[in-house]
Amino acid sequence: MSNRLLSIGQQFPAFKKTAVVSLEKGKEFYDITSDELINDDGRWTVMFWWPKDFTFVCPTEIAEFNKSFGEFRDRTTNLIGASTDSEFVHLAWRNNHDDLRDLKFPMLADTSKSLAEDLGILEANEKVAYRATFIIDPQGIVRWVCVNDLSVGRNVKEVIRVLDALQTDELCPCNWEKGKETIKA
Amino acid sequence: MEALTYSETTQEFLEFLKVKNDYHTESLDLLEQGKSRYIADLKVNFKNSFESEFLTKTEIALLGVAIAVNANNQTLRQFFTLNAKEEGATAEAIAEAAACASLLSANNILYRFRHFTGKEKYNEIPARIKMNIMGRPVSGKEFFELMSLAVSAVNGCELCVTSHEASLIELGSKEERIFEAVRLASVITSVSKVIY
Repeated sequence: MSNRLLSIGQQFPAFKKTAVVSLEKGKEFYDITSDELINDDGRWTVMFWWPKDFTFVCPTEIAEFNKSFGEFRDRTTNLIGASTDSEFVHLAWRNNHDDLRDLKFPMLADTSKSLAEDLGILEANEKVAYRATFIIDPQGIVRWVCVNDLSVGRNVKEVIRVLDALQTDELCPCNWEKGKETIKA
Repeated sequence: MEALTYSETTQEFLEFLKVKNDYHTESLDLLEQGKSRYIADLKVNFKNSFESEFLTKTEIALLGVAIAVNANNQTLRQFFTLNAKEEGATAEAIAEAAACASLLSANNILYRFRHFTGKEKYNEIPARIKMNIMGRPVSGKEFFELMSLAVSAVNGCELCVTSHEASLIELGSKEERIFEAVRLASVITSVSKVIY
């Protein structure tokens, strides 16, 4: 299988997937669609993937993203965690693990593996997702992608640093130079 | 009047600033009442100022002390003083940062006046301002110049800004470091408008 990684400048693929958003009975699940990625509120999306629920490296990483949830919120950015496990496995894992119980972001279930495949991050042998991270702008365009092999953890600070660099700043007219395009927020 | 409950963004910001639970300011109230997303930007600007390639943690804290003292800002002065101590700054270095803010405030007015009027006569009349602390600064000549530049940039004295910048370049400082110090001063000043 060739995996062609979805790269910078490309439209994030269309999807509709169930995600675990709560441990409360009746409120556990929510369907996330790719439509939500595109918005007029200047809202960005960070989607990060891990290979399998119930493994060791993953909860550390997921907990790290959760700890930085406020940093993403302050940058008008939705955080989505994802793997190819089903929503029921996600829910069981969250119930089972102390660090995962109060997760503030949705855990997306790509049970059919279609999204991981479209993104080009499906590992050939086990058909699980690599540790991929995507930054998607409010137009639904992939602006940054980083893929780690299965055993390599991520640095959340680096994701935030890249996000800061990507998000437009210096909108102030003081920074306009002659001949430059009008700045759009 | 019942106290306004601040958003999570603001509460986390106040926690970071180590202020009391019931802390509030009227400026923050205004932002909160209008659900302004600016608070998130301000907080990100402030927190990002603590990550620098060109300034050490201690230097950031000492520049913070100088800018907070210059702004007469109690909350930020306490925050940066504590921060400076935690980063290992001596009482002497902290004192020097406060002294620098005070002295430069005098110099900024005086030299700005000379520059504004451009009359030779005012350059001939002695300033009669004691500047002994500039002699042998405990934080070193270069860092004292950097603090002086940051305070002068905030107070808007063109002559002081150009002189201290030139002196820093002569001492071998990089433009990136100089800009970072001024950037930090600008961010702390913007925070001082709502946190005080």
